[in-house]
Amino acid sequence: MSAQVTAESTGVVLPPRRRSQLSRLERTLGGRGGLVGAGILLVLVLVAVLAPLLAPHSPEQIDAARVLAAPDLSHPFGSDALGRDVLSRVLYAFRTSLAISIGSVALAMLAGVPLGLIAGYRGGWVDAVLMRPLDMLLALPALLLAVSLVSILGPGSFVVLVAIAVIYLPILARVLRSSVLVVRERPYVLGARARGVGPLGIMVRHVLPNAVGPVLVQATVLMGFALQVEAALSFLGLGAQPPTPSLGLMLLDGYQVLQQAWWVDVFPGLAIALTVVAFLLIGDGLRRRYDPAGVAE
Amino acid sequence: MSPRTAFVVRRIALTIPTLLAMSVFVFALIRLVPGDPVRSMLGFRATPENVALVRHDLHLDQGLVSQYVAWITGALQGDLGRDYVSGVPVSTLVGQRLPVTLELVLLAMGLALVVGVPLGVAAARGSRIAGRLAGGFVVAGVAIPDFWLGTLLILLFAATLQWLPPAGWAPLGDGLGQNLRYIALPALALAVGEAAYILRTTRGAMLETLGQPYVAFLRAKGVPERSIVFRHALRNAAVPIVTVVGIQFGVLLSGAIVIESIFGLPGLGRLVVTAINQRNYTVVQGAVLAIATLFIAVTLVTDLLYGWLDPRVGAEGS
Repeated sequence: MSAQVTAESTGVVLPPRRRSQLSRLERTLGGRGGLVGAGILLVLVLVAVLAPLLAPHSPEQIDAARVLAAPDLSHPFGSDALGRDVLSRVLYAFRTSLAISIGSVALAMLAGVPLGLIAGYRGGWVDAVLMRPLDMLLALPALLLAVSLVSILGPGSFVVLVAIAVIYLPILARVLRSSVLVVRERPYVLGARARGVGPLGIMVRHVLPNAVGPVLVQATVLMGFALQVEAALSFLGLGAQPPTPSLGLMLLDGYQVLQQAWWVDVFPGLAIALTVVAFLLIGDGLRRRYDPAGVAE
Repeated sequence: MSPRTAFVVRRIALTIPTLLAMSVFVFALIRLVPGDPVRSMLGFRATPENVALVRHDLHLDQGLVSQYVAWITGALQGDLGRDYVSGVPVSTLVGQRLPVTLELVLLAMGLALVVGVPLGVAAARGSRIAGRLAGGFVVAGVAIPDFWLGTLLILLFAATLQWLPPAGWAPLGDGLGQNLRYIALPALALAVGEAAYILRTTRGAMLETLGQPYVAFLRAKGVPERSIVFRHALRNAAVPIVTVVGIQFGVLLSGAIVIESIFGLPGLGRLVVTAINQRNYTVVQGAVLAIATLFIAVTLVTDLLYGWLDPRVGAEGS
């Protein structure tokens, strides 16, 4: 892949290293930070998937005797205003929130990748027609755009997923477009064109694989930020609605009892921060490896 | 016309389509609501006469194009319609709340610059450990959601230490001291993430400029290091910093929506959120329009500033 060639031709001198599996993985992830990030994320994803097995209590079980009870051995994160176990709730809420953040970025990629690819490769009026409307979306502050969309469609987890995808769509399309602009001038693309490969074949088989690196970097980072946006919207009552567990809703519960019980607020917030850190570390590592020119910045 | 003036004129002209598109989006807000926006705004007990009256008021009984023309003509003259909950004109509400949001965002940006730029310079020049520490601060500052940080600040400074009120507002008219007591925590909550971005940008830009041949020349000439860093390198590193400041204003305005709700500040962000929950669409429209216009204006100003800091921008005609 040409991305590899550029990474090495930028003059980055890699120290000699044992070729163990782990160090090979570390190289793929762009260094120790990326490896740590991937480790954290792996654990977090496992936790999300296995939440029903890991949760010590039912996340919905109300216990009048444990209203705002402080953390102890059987309830390490304490209990909330209804006596529900905060740890179990964090596990379930994390599951929903992570699904929304990954889903929203996937949806944004699904629409943004074809748009950026075609706009960058065709250029000219096609580029203008596709990109101008997307640029307009960037003229609104991200959360304001999301909030406006929620005001039209009504609150809910799925609406939030779509709203976040709409925020990120222009960013991802723009990143891909700028790396396509570089890649489309490469000799192998000209060669393919000379061989008579059709535009679709060139775009999908030659341009996309070599231009997608920076988009993947950006998408990784955005998955972390999507978690923050989801939490913010749910916190404002515009996202997930009460029976659905969500980290944002948990932060709202925590905010309401902030003065009496810090643990209701602190643990869901930590879960978000830790996840964002994992995505950021992976993104930084991947950037070093797949986007040395910093297109995704 | 000098290339410089041409750049300024062109850049200002470029905001017109953006403003136009934004206004169409804001106009469409009410019209895209599924079902009857007037009914969901007034509730089901509204009399048919009232519904018809409001519908006429919002020009909903006309064709789409004339609706838009009527709305935008009003908006340009400062008429944003009426708040159907309180009966106050929306422009009055926006006018009362704009200064709060503006003060919050500007103070947060100021704090972030005061912290982020010197730390960024220090990190660029300092040891490996300083770089690592700066990197850690950047990751933490970006990863911690600003509104959660806000709740932690309430927990520490209001609930535990009781130095500052947990929420509420005193306008500047009540004296700077009172005003600062209420705005300190929200501004701090917004500023931390921002400072992290500015630190990272400053560090990157400084590392780049300090590696330039002219810096080596200045050193060889015996120019004092302080003067190299602050008079020469930082001035050149200012261009990317200004760009980031412009982009990040959008992030701060986004953050303000949640932060204002947490700290009970009567700003535009809180206005939007309460209005959405009340299905008070005219107010949603007015507030969204105000925040979006503010953002577009700030983007314009930073772009012009960019041209002023980097003379090549105008000269190249790019």
